[in-house]
This record gives sequence, structure tokens and C-alpha cells, in this order.
Amino acid sequence: MSQETESTGNPIANPDPSVLDRLRFARQDVAAKLPPLRGQRIAYLLVSPFFVLFGLFLAFPVVYTLYLSFFEWQSVGQGNLFWIDFGPFHVTVPRIAELQFVGLSNYTRLLGDGLFWQSMFNTTYILLIQVPIMIGLALALAVALNASFVRFKGLFRTAIALPISANIVAYSTVFLLLFNEQFGFVNYLLSQVGVSPIAWLTSEFWARKTIIAAVTWRWIGYNMIILLAGLQNVPQQLYEAAEIDGAGRWEKFRYVTLPQLRPVLLFVVVLSTIGTFKLFAEPYVITGGGPTNATITIVQYIYRQAFVHWNLGYASALTVIFVALVSVISIAQIRIGGDD
Amino acid sequence: MARIEIDNLTKVYDSGDESIVAVEDLDLEVEDGEFLVLVGPSGCGKSTTLRCIAGLEDVTEGSLRFGERDVTALRGSERDVAMVFQNYALYPHMTVRENIGFGLKLSTKLTAAEISERVESVASMLGITDLLEDKPKELSGGQQQRVALGRAIVREPAVFLMDEPLSNLDAKLRAEMRTELQELQQDLDVTTVYVTHDQTEAMAMGDRVAVMNDGVLQQVGPPEGIYRQPVNEFVANFIGSPSINMLTAEIDGDSLTGPAGFSYRLSDTTSVKGHSRVRVGVRPEDITITDDGPNSATVSVVEPMGNENFCYMELGDHELTARIDPDLRPRAGETVRFTFDEEALYLFDADSGAALKTKSDAVAPGIETEVSS
Repeated sequence: MSQETESTGNPIANPDPSVLDRLRFARQDVAAKLPPLRGQRIAYLLVSPFFVLFGLFLAFPVVYTLYLSFFEWQSVGQGNLFWIDFGPFHVTVPRIAELQFVGLSNYTRLLGDGLFWQSMFNTTYILLIQVPIMIGLALALAVALNASFVRFKGLFRTAIALPISANIVAYSTVFLLLFNEQFGFVNYLLSQVGVSPIAWLTSEFWARKTIIAAVTWRWIGYNMIILLAGLQNVPQQLYEAAEIDGAGRWEKFRYVTLPQLRPVLLFVVVLSTIGTFKLFAEPYVITGGGPTNATITIVQYIYRQAFVHWNLGYASALTVIFVALVSVISIAQIRIGGDD
Repeated sequence: MARIEIDNLTKVYDSGDESIVAVEDLDLEVEDGEFLVLVGPSGCGKSTTLRCIAGLEDVTEGSLRFGERDVTALRGSERDVAMVFQNYALYPHMTVRENIGFGLKLSTKLTAAEISERVESVASMLGITDLLEDKPKELSGGQQQRVALGRAIVREPAVFLMDEPLSNLDAKLRAEMRTELQELQQDLDVTTVYVTHDQTEAMAMGDRVAVMNDGVLQQVGPPEGIYRQPVNEFVANFIGSPSINMLTAEIDGDSLTGPAGFSYRLSDTTSVKGHSRVRVGVRPEDITITDDGPNSATVSVVEPMGNENFCYMELGDHELTARIDPDLRPRAGETVRFTFDEEALYLFDADSGAALKTKSDAVAPGIETEVSS
């Protein structure tokens, strides 16, 4: 802001110089109090936006969730936690919540919570069926698309990978309509070949399968692309060496493709396991967790506890256990699958 | 063990509207137990030929027989061949023991104990017993090479195929392995087809050498024969290091007139009858630098090799190379006179490159005894 600017009477273009001066003095005042920005300090300042955002929106919530799991949430915070006076302005940080310390009781409550175990069972059930089927199919598709005799590879690749771009709620809604028991397209097709309508959404058994079908449809292309990239990195000469050694199609797959693909497969398995463990939107939209909680997943249960019943402390304890569980499973997978 | 018979082998690669002829109408026979080297510049079709023999490529036309068996339509896995690849192609996740035993496990009914026994005997033959439990990535290039050889040997195949197996090794190791491979092949007495772009390797290793260019087989024969009696200018040029000196000359009666005042009087003109221009070739070792030589050239560089000197000279726009005694050291820029015997002279048709006259001098002492096969 230049001092030489002449007043033309326009208060917006040329505001009252005294305000500007006061701002300038205040700025100089703050600058004088801060240490000089030189050398490493300027570097830290320049990288700080990431750390501030990371701390505020990732690190803090994670730590706070752990903290919250030992409390019972009473209400939204009253009053301020602290406030800082910067002279011309001040910053107040309000209390986040009114909490009551309950020790480990959230965790002991969880042990006897039937619905928690039900959601745990549902998630594991879906996981154990969905992940192997999806990865098996994705691998089969990848191998097929990698074969030299297949034509229109680009077209198939794109078509199979396309569902990744579908909005989760939108595609879930489409599945909801497709699997509608009275008017759905799937039951219509079945009726054409003489199969009586299936209770896709209201039978415990079929509701889970519907969820599995939806999730598999959405993610199969994604995994196929990763596996296809892995396949294309297998040196051709290994197949030739195996051919000369007398290997047929299956032996080449078993002794060359699979071992070469192992790191990629491990990546896909770990990622898919975590992904399916975190299942939320599909059952939320398609089955609403029903029938009789047969498709309620862990994350859905956590959501229900947190934002329907406002048991934030208990929901936090559930989250902590959930994260621990997923971590243990992922580490175990890497340990078992990562050995060379 | 088997004799290989290749009849009219043609391999065409079709890529949409363009087709590339990699090998054209190749006829070749490899005797039982013979070591045949396929040599030529890169892209000449030698590797394609080998891959056709291996069954890694389908042949477009022609037939392949191993002994009495017609293998043209068989898959590689059914042909009973073993192959050593340029970059070894060892299975990275298997130990050396598993790598060597893999072929036996797949294509024989041997028990695990029998396989293990054969793997160990091959390993001790190659001196890699200590490495049996290691993975390929823990091995040096030379050791990987041995494992690749072991994998081929253990199968006791009818035919051994080697695709530039030594080219990833350093010079010293390459020379060592060259000898070792030859000894091994003699001991095992397996029909072997060996591909290389290195003519020195071809000359040193092959019972017979087959020279290819542009997908066409140029000449097959023992190394010495190919060197002394090449069928055309390409073979003469490709075989021999340093390369043969070539220049174009006009024929006037019994005299050859070349660039920059080069002239040579022929005593026997039967080979050039009916030609007005020919290509003249002289091997570097046949050029003698002497004060009473009929021609002269300007020395550009002398490379002292210790036991001999390579003298590079300029004759007009042509470069000539002479292999001379180590005590002869003409200086750069000096003009020297040189000569060569008519018996050592090669003459080729100026248009077709076909040989009109090749070396007819007496074989230098010591050379003939080496070619005892």
C-alpha cells in the first residue's frame, strides 16, 4: 500500500489513511515480535500449510477419537477452551464437547453388544465371500485380456474398469432398482427362464449376496487394471523358458505368472480387504442394513451409534477396535504373503 | 541326440498391412553331435531361425525334422530341446536347485530323489554345488550363466539351443566360458545350434559356421573354409577381424586399376574374363609393407597390440588395414609402399558381390592342424 496515494474521495479505492497506518503498524508490531524468517525457518513456514491441514483434519481427529473412546459424550461444548489475543484481532477456540470420563466401560460394553457382534459377523461374511470371488474374477479377466489372441483389448479394459467412476450412492440405487423383488430387472429376467422371484433384499441369505454382487461389480475393474499392469511386467522370456522346460498353459500360470504376480496380488488383497471392511454406502442404500440387521456392517453400526444415537464415546471405542482389527489383519496378510 | 534338418524354412511376421520376412527359404542340416554356429549382423534372422527350431515361433513355411521326427507342428514343450537364453531367464522365485530341476519335474516321471540326484551331478560338473540353495538374484552373471547351462544340460535333450549366451559376460569371463562350453559340448556330444553376432566367437567355437544376412543363409562351412573361400563379398566382409580391405577396380587387360593410383598386375586373368569392373579384397595379414611395393598409401594410425601392429592407412578415400610385424612402426602421415601376393587376393563381381576368386595360397603352418574336426 503506497503512502503517496492521493485521496480522491473514494472511500473504497482510497480508504481512510489512518486505518491503513494502524494496520501497518500492527503488522510491524507482530513482525517485530516474531523471530526473523531466514534459512530453515522460511522453509518450515513454506511447508507448514500441509502440516497444519494434516494436523487439523487428520492427526487431531485420529488422536481425539482415541481420547473420546474413554468418555461419554454429554453435549456440545460450552464456553471457550482458550483464546489468543493478537492485538488487532483475537482467536477463540471453543470447547469441543462436554465429556464425562468413563474409563474402559465403552470397551466392556462392546463385548456384550449383540449388534456389534452381528455387524462384525456380517462384515466378515461379506468379506470372506466377496474378496476371493472378486480377486479371482479380476485375475481371470486380467489374464484373458493379457492373452495375445484377444482382440479389442482397449475396449474391454475400459468397459470393465468403467464402474470405478460410478458414484457409490448412484450405483447402489441402480442395484436397489435392479434387485427390486417385484419390479426389478433381475427377477424379470429370471422369470423369463422360469425361475420364481428371489427375495434379493428381504431374505437374509440373498440380501448379503446382493451386497456382494454390487461391491464386486464396482471394484472388479479397478483390481483387474492393477493385476493387468502386473501381468504386463512379467518378462516374456520366463514363459519361453518354461515352454522349453515342458510347461503347459496351467504350469506357466502356476510356476511363472502367480509367483511373479505375488507382490501385486498381495497389494490387491490387502487393499480389497480394507475396502470391504470399510463397507458402508452399499448396505446403507440398498438394504439399509436389513433384513433384521443381516447386512449391517461395522462402519454402518459405528455410524448409527455416532450420528443416530449420539453415543460418540461408544462409537469412538468401536472405531478404535475396528482400526486395530483391520491393522492386525493387514499386517498378517503382508507377513504371510510378503515372504519371498 | 539328433540330426537337425531344416527345409525351406520361411518366417514372415505379419503386422496388419505390413509383413516382414525374417527368414527366407532356409535349408540347413546339422549333423548329430555337431556344434553349428549361426552368425550374422543383428536383424539377419539368426535368432528367429533358432526360435523356430525351439518351437517358440511358428514357421510360415517349410519343415523341421529332428532325426526321424517331424517337429514342425510340435509345441516347444514337446520337441525335447533345451535352450540357454541371452539373459538366462532363470525363474527368480526358485532356488538354483529348483531352477535346474524344473524341466525334469514337468516333463519326466522321475521321482524327487532321482531329480535331486541328477541336479546335483550336473551342479558338480559345472562347479555350482555351493549355490544350489541360492536364488538367482544372489548370483553373479557368470554363476547365473552356469545355472542356465545346468538347466539345459540336466534335461539331456536331443538338441541344445543357445541364443547369444555369452554376450552378457565381461570379456575375460566370456573367453573362459567359450572354452568351457566347447569342452562341455564335446563331452556331452549333443547336437548344438549356437547363435552369435560375434564372428570371433563363431570362428572359435563352431564345427561349422552358418553366415546369415537379411534373412538369407549366405554360406555354411567350417570356419577356415568360410574365411578362405567366402561365396560373396558380404561373407568375406563379415568374417575376419580386422575386416578385409575392399576397393573397386577397373580391369584393363591383365591390370587392375583402383582409386588413388592403385594398380595391380594379374598373372592369371581367367577369373575376371568378361568383367570390366571388380571388387578387390585383401586380408590385413596379407598386406606386406615393403620399400619396393608397387602401391603406396598414407599411414593414419598405428595400433600396437604387442605381438603385432595394426597399421591403418589411407588410399584416396579408402581406408586400408594391414597387420604388420611389431617391430615395424611407420609414423602417422608417412607414406609407405605395400604389396600382396596374387594367391591372397579375393575378387568379387562388382554388381552381385559373388566371389570370382578367393584365397588360393598355401595354408599358413599351424592353422590346418587346428581344424581337425
